[in-house]
Amino acid sequence: MKKILKNDAVQSLIASLLCIILGLLIGYIVLLFINPEGAWDAILAVLKNFLKTANHSRRVKLLGATLVRTAPLLMCGLSVLFAYKVGLFNIGAAGQYVAGVCASLYAALAWHWGWLPCVLLAIVAAAALGAIVGVLKSFCNVNEVISGIMLNWIALYTTNMILMSQKQEASHYTLKLKESAPQAILPGAGLDKLLGYDKVTIAIPLAIIMAIIVYVVMNRTRFGYELRATGNNRNAAKYAGMAEKRNIILTLVIAGGLAGLGGAMLYLTDIEQWSVTQTSVPGMGFNGIAATFLGGLNPIGTIFSSFFIQHITDGGPNVDLSHYCAQISDLISSIIIYLCGFVLFLKTAINKGLAKSDEKQAQKEKKLAAEAKGGEK
Amino acid sequence: MLLLIQYTLIFSSVLLLVALGGCFSEHSGVINLGLEGIMVIGALGGALMMRMLPAGTSAIVIVLLTLLAAIVFGVVYSSLLAVASINFKADQTIVGTALNMLGTAAATVFVKAINTAANPNDHSATIIYVEPKKAFVKAIGSFEFNWFMVVAVIVLILAYVILYKTKFGLRLMACGEHPQAAASVGINVFKMRWAGVLISGALGGLGGICYILAGVSQWQFEYGVAGFGFLALAVMIFGQWKPLRIALAALLFGLFRALSNVYAGFDFLSALNIPGTVYNMMPYIVSLIVLALTSGKSRAPKAEGIPYDKGMR
Amino acid sequence: MDSPYAIEMLHITKRFPGIIANDDITLQLKRGEIHALLGENGAGKSTLMSVLFGLYQAEEGVIKKDGKEVQIKDPNDANALGIGMVHQHFKLVECFSVLDNIILGVEPTKHGFLQKKEAREKVMALSEKYGLHVDPDAIIEDITVGMQQRTEILKMLYRDNEILIFDEPTAVLTPQEIEELMQIMKNLAAEGKSILFISHKLAEIMAVADRCTVLRKGKYIGTVETKNTTVEQLSAMMVGRNVNFHVEKKPSTPGDVILEVENMTVASKVHKKDAVKDVSFKVRAGEIVCIAGIDGNGQTELVYGLSGLEPLKSGKILFKGQDITKASIRKRSTSGLSHIPEDRHKHGLVLDYPLEYNIILQRYFEPEFTTKAGFLKRKPIREYAERLIQEYDVRSGQGPITIARSMSGGNQQKAIIAREIDKAPDLLLAVQPTRGLDVGAIESVHKQLVAQRDAGKAVLLVSLELDEVMDVPDRILVMYEGEIVGELDPKKTTQEELGLYMAGAKRDEVKA
Repeated sequence: MKKILKNDAVQSLIASLLCIILGLLIGYIVLLFINPEGAWDAILAVLKNFLKTANHSRRVKLLGATLVRTAPLLMCGLSVLFAYKVGLFNIGAAGQYVAGVCASLYAALAWHWGWLPCVLLAIVAAAALGAIVGVLKSFCNVNEVISGIMLNWIALYTTNMILMSQKQEASHYTLKLKESAPQAILPGAGLDKLLGYDKVTIAIPLAIIMAIIVYVVMNRTRFGYELRATGNNRNAAKYAGMAEKRNIILTLVIAGGLAGLGGAMLYLTDIEQWSVTQTSVPGMGFNGIAATFLGGLNPIGTIFSSFFIQHITDGGPNVDLSHYCAQISDLISSIIIYLCGFVLFLKTAINKGLAKSDEKQAQKEKKLAAEAKGGEK
Repeated sequence: MLLLIQYTLIFSSVLLLVALGGCFSEHSGVINLGLEGIMVIGALGGALMMRMLPAGTSAIVIVLLTLLAAIVFGVVYSSLLAVASINFKADQTIVGTALNMLGTAAATVFVKAINTAANPNDHSATIIYVEPKKAFVKAIGSFEFNWFMVVAVIVLILAYVILYKTKFGLRLMACGEHPQAAASVGINVFKMRWAGVLISGALGGLGGICYILAGVSQWQFEYGVAGFGFLALAVMIFGQWKPLRIALAALLFGLFRALSNVYAGFDFLSALNIPGTVYNMMPYIVSLIVLALTSGKSRAPKAEGIPYDKGMR
Repeated sequence: MDSPYAIEMLHITKRFPGIIANDDITLQLKRGEIHALLGENGAGKSTLMSVLFGLYQAEEGVIKKDGKEVQIKDPNDANALGIGMVHQHFKLVECFSVLDNIILGVEPTKHGFLQKKEAREKVMALSEKYGLHVDPDAIIEDITVGMQQRTEILKMLYRDNEILIFDEPTAVLTPQEIEELMQIMKNLAAEGKSILFISHKLAEIMAVADRCTVLRKGKYIGTVETKNTTVEQLSAMMVGRNVNFHVEKKPSTPGDVILEVENMTVASKVHKKDAVKDVSFKVRAGEIVCIAGIDGNGQTELVYGLSGLEPLKSGKILFKGQDITKASIRKRSTSGLSHIPEDRHKHGLVLDYPLEYNIILQRYFEPEFTTKAGFLKRKPIREYAERLIQEYDVRSGQGPITIARSMSGGNQQKAIIAREIDKAPDLLLAVQPTRGLDVGAIESVHKQLVAQRDAGKAVLLVSLELDEVMDVPDRILVMYEGEIVGELDPKKTTQEELGLYMAGAKRDEVKA
């Protein structure tokens, strides 16, 4: 039992589950305050999401819809995670994601590019945005959180400006790909038929593959070794001759690329269109932060946590809207991130408790041994 | 032109209040990245108060109670940051970010709940305060004077005096520079840091209500405060954590923010034919440039962001 | 006041997970005496003082003030009892003035506003009375270490403390400043203050203390009157055997010049002046050259300049005849420069990495450990780590997979030394390689340095310990305020002469 508890992965899992349970509990209490009658049903609605529907094929389709949005969320989570391993907090993932959306949609609609070049351009555009944060950080010592936030807003307004030319006549949404640029829609590769939903594409398996690649790069390669060393002890990394500045920039370029890929993964399915009048940065990048920390800062864990976050986010609109609102899921996710801040404390507490009980046991054994010895004499 | 000055002053007031809040928190050793969320919650408190006060309440009562509500909400909300980062040594970046997201989400949920309860068909997250807003402004000719300009100046003077002329200020700054030294002379670092964070909560809350009263007469809480909390942090860094320099920085940033509201009123600016979004981006671009130029030799409190641990010496 | 003792610590026991830092220790401080607390690094001196100062609580034992039992739960209680402490690492707020630091925590106020005028008068009076010269308006980061220490002493006097603790106060001072400090301590004792003086330097204890309590490995060894004892006796009590401080070594046979430094100047990060000024010297194969000096005279920056951690402002570094002035850290390392860093936690180790990853820190990119595609070769890494652990006797809980953070300081240092020596360098840059190690470990490090020399390598040792400076190297270069002020032959010089150079009181025009 003790041995299991000492395992870092197990501790992370326990911590994450605790965060989820507490987050749901607090969410429930908030609902109780708003209206005690339907609170339990509302929490269940959020938790059930697609499971709420009795109809089998509709249920699968709704699962598909959640998965379509999980893919970009996972990419944003990986973006945050990749940077965090190097000791950087990439809150700019939100803006990098927007840059990805902008580049892929514009290339698709204005230049009629195919899906692959659109995706690649999205990665490049977002990586460039990441590079700005990296350059500011390594050469001008600008806190990456503040520059990231500023760039989020800049990216949002720039995107609105650029996509203005690609909007529908009658609304403030961009043109539908299906009608204007079908060549740019991501291929379904049979997955769409499997789930009975045409928005399901290769984005989903691709995102999972990216998570595995991130894991392998971080843990098995020289590059990952350098990055994690830089994240753990910047001075030691410099002492060992690692190119710190280059690594910081490279990290943010990659993190940006990951988030940008996420942007393309969502919008090139044509599941939604960009509103060129929107005045707030989409929450996808911020939810990525939740996914990363809930996933125990592990790429594989992030796969599951992003699904969970997207699952409850999609469950939000299922609540009884005459009493509550859909943002209750946002509330729960943000409480979960807040609680993730306590994970380190929790882990230290667990380890301290274990060490103490070990010591007690050792002392007991010593005493017993001494008594046994005394008995022999 | 008068309009530009008016908007510059009001936005500068917001930035000044919030940046001074950040300044207190950072001088005590806690990085407050949650100012954005604190602003939202402070705005929520003030807006709810304005909504609840019966029509016909005298202007001065409206102003005082609204400010009080914003402060109380900000303080209570900032205690979430304090307890996590001071007592539980949580990563201040994560907690601050969580508070920003939580602020908007919670405000939206509450306002929608209240609106829906009042009118089952109303699912908006908007609070309207056309009438009570009049208590805050006073037309002097075509210049719309706002009481927040006075509040900001008072807070600025108070901040300067407290930080540099009182025992409290000396101890607060000691905790942000070298908490072990402060503890060794019997200063309770936890208490001082709590004080720093709560003050930042109060000022952040004030800034929040000031922000939503700056131009409009209703506020949609889903939109948060558009990065103003972070702009304020940029102002604080540009001001090198010193109140007077922060005031100057706030004026500069306020000017750029004001331009996006009033550029159309200037013939030469509208003649340039730059899209409005460019003006919207201006404050963010300017702050990036300013940060790039000033962060290199920044004199941040030395111990900021590092949880204080009694065992560490 | 019937007890002759100002403070008594009776049968104090303090445990930390895994170790007993203080095991039944008794210390009695008489009123008006200077009482030394002697012990090696890790003997438990600092823990005991932290207990007295309220930073830790003892599990067992009592503390008595003037014969009455007292509870000290935090530094406030200690302050209230009149106990003050000059910490080894000064507890000063660097961007505050001297005056602000002195009054911090006991500020005179009126309606909450600071009243600095009366505080200033009191500080000036105290400074006059005890000969503690300070400028109350100077900012701490601008003044000398000696003046910072005087600020710390004034902090205690300003609080009217009766019991003054000095934790290793001489480590950062020049011999002349040490003289001055000792005079101040004697003045204070003469005024009736009781002084606890923590040190591991025997000569200083003999010179200034009335009595001396010795600790070893957390245990109480005994208390002696200094006038009835000898340095040898104290030393034996401290280490538990008569150690031979002398390092056995054959005469050196210097070969080719390996390192040649010409007119090196390095800017300082803390102040506007240059930390290293126009320094030139050479190190040959088969010799150990030691850079001696008081801490903070530019040694750190000199090493940073050599290793590439900081750029040179001007000057040139030739390594095996090649100009490496602008070469990267990696380039220097791969071309044969090894560096045992001054601060093993800051530079030497990635504390959250396992031991094996730390052992390959300087070589992870070599084909031996990385495939062409950039993947780490896990088996060769494990085997290499195991070999070094074996050869250099690095002890750890779980061998190669032990997280470096959980290892003892001595074994962390051994791991670094193993890594740097096994790289087979032409020049070994060893910066305070014995810092924080116990006597046995120090001996083994010294042997390894000499072995490197005998194998024909060049060794540049930077040390603050006089014993080490006198015993290990073949040549000594003394640094003072960023300059090399003298070259000495350890066989021909004395500690006194060395001290004069270190204090800047004596200098030659050296072009080594």
